Amino acid sequence: MEDVLLRVKEVSKHFGGVYAVNGVSLDINHGGICGLVGPNGSGKTTLFNTILGLHKPDQGEIYFQNESISHLAPHKIYERGLVNAFQIPRLFYSLSVMDNMLVAARGQQGDRLFNSLFLRARWQEQEKGLIEQALDILELVELEPWAFTPAAELSGGQRKLLELGRALMAKPRLLLLDEPAAGINPVLGKKIFQKLQALSANGLALFVVEHRLEILFEFASWVYVMDKGTIAFAGHPQAIIDNPAFYAIYLGEE
Amino acid sequence: MDPLLYVLDLIVFIGIFGMVSLSLNLEFGFAGLANFGKVAFFLIGAYTYALLSQTGVPFYFCLIASAIVSAVFGLLISLPALRLRADYLAIAVLAFGEILRLIVKSEDWLAGGDWGVTVAPAISIAGASHRVDALINIGLVYFCLLICFLLIQLLANSPYGRAIRAIREDEVAAEVLGKDRAKFKAQALMLGSAMAGVAGGLYVQYQYSVLPGMFMPMITFTVWIMVLLGGPGNNWGVLLGATLVEVFERGTNIAKDYFVLPIDPSNLQYILFGALIIFVLLYRPQGLLKESTIRSKAQRLAYYGRRAAKSKGS
Repeated sequence: MEDVLLRVKEVSKHFGGVYAVNGVSLDINHGGICGLVGPNGSGKTTLFNTILGLHKPDQGEIYFQNESISHLAPHKIYERGLVNAFQIPRLFYSLSVMDNMLVAARGQQGDRLFNSLFLRARWQEQEKGLIEQALDILELVELEPWAFTPAAELSGGQRKLLELGRALMAKPRLLLLDEPAAGINPVLGKKIFQKLQALSANGLALFVVEHRLEILFEFASWVYVMDKGTIAFAGHPQAIIDNPAFYAIYLGEE
Repeated sequence: MDPLLYVLDLIVFIGIFGMVSLSLNLEFGFAGLANFGKVAFFLIGAYTYALLSQTGVPFYFCLIASAIVSAVFGLLISLPALRLRADYLAIAVLAFGEILRLIVKSEDWLAGGDWGVTVAPAISIAGASHRVDALINIGLVYFCLLICFLLIQLLANSPYGRAIRAIREDEVAAEVLGKDRAKFKAQALMLGSAMAGVAGGLYVQYQYSVLPGMFMPMITFTVWIMVLLGGPGNNWGVLLGATLVEVFERGTNIAKDYFVLPIDPSNLQYILFGALIIFVLLYRPQGLLKESTIRSKAQRLAYYGRRAAKSKGS
């Protein structure tokens, strides 16, 4: 149990009569990249949103670091270090790239009303460190030259990169990534996974939805395959590739 | 009438409504809350001031009380209102303002109902001329305006301002990035209401009276025009908007004393204001001055410091 960072236990979520997620159980361990694949509409994003607290599960429990988080508000879940990057970037478009990054820092002194006005020295000191950290991450996602550009002026691929960078800014323990390589050129997509792998070696756990299977399977250490709201099977990437049932699910062959 | 007094009077009005429009700028310009009940908090501050000053409490206590009572109502309205979507929030607070006005209008025991009550000026010097009275009011109003301006300006450029702007841009993304949106919105409404309340207190002591008819919904819309015209998210722009709208509004009222027109220009004002909103939203949706970005010297220093270090290293 100690090694399990996130435990999803028998979680179901339905919208009307449709079970988007139906009795899903899975474990994510500390460190490493864990993949989640499955055809469109199989419930991957709904599962992510339920873990994040955006949907309350109809049944089941979700544990993060051995504590139930099923009924916490999203911002409380975030404070514990469970952070997400959306599939379609949801940036703060009128803010600069740098400010988008800084919003996401955890444990800020200055985002409280009283502190922001009356304890300026305290948060300004903290802010200096956060800015350096943001610049490091912007360098990593190759957005440093655009630090002061409004997010609205970024290209589609750059927006994806900022979405990822912003999530990293929170120094997460577990990062949920919904298709990080989609819409990004193949070289950079692979480079991002290499960088994510380096981060995961330092203890960051990643749970990644990705349709670019050739990239995901190269880096993931464990993969869950979802179909029609349930976990069809799971295993090492090589075992998944060797499993004919996987192709049936993905390509819709019987 | 003394022409200089017109100008001094105009300056007082710009100050008072500048404060109200700054408070709306905090709520709408930065936090994205469509508060169409601005006049409600202006009214609460005004009546708090009027009722308290009758008991002989010094004016600064009355103003502080106006701020506190308005802030409490701001918090109370935020509890149900923040569960509503933006457009329904607008309708709910609009109705709240009208309900309050009708309460003070019909409850005679409270503050004289329709007839209102007289309010003593905050600072009065025996035998002083109208000009001196106006100058005293300018000093008092602009002192309060300065405090409001500095508070909002500091907030807007702090991590707090960054957080409320983020909530305005995308509240779901802000929520999953750790911002308790309900808390931030309630705080913005409280602080904005407190400022509008102080402005209400200043307004009634300057007018020597408080009447329900002073708090028509048109006040809310006038303040909205100031913010939209000047530039939501830009405190200087909002003050510019307040100035332009007040010059226009007071100007037409003064002009009608000198020119004989077939219709009362005050009625035409509303039509012109409506046309102005449409014009601004179509051709300059960001307002006269566009939103001020977060000013951070620390960001620039770190960025250019790094680039300099890099070019040296290579």
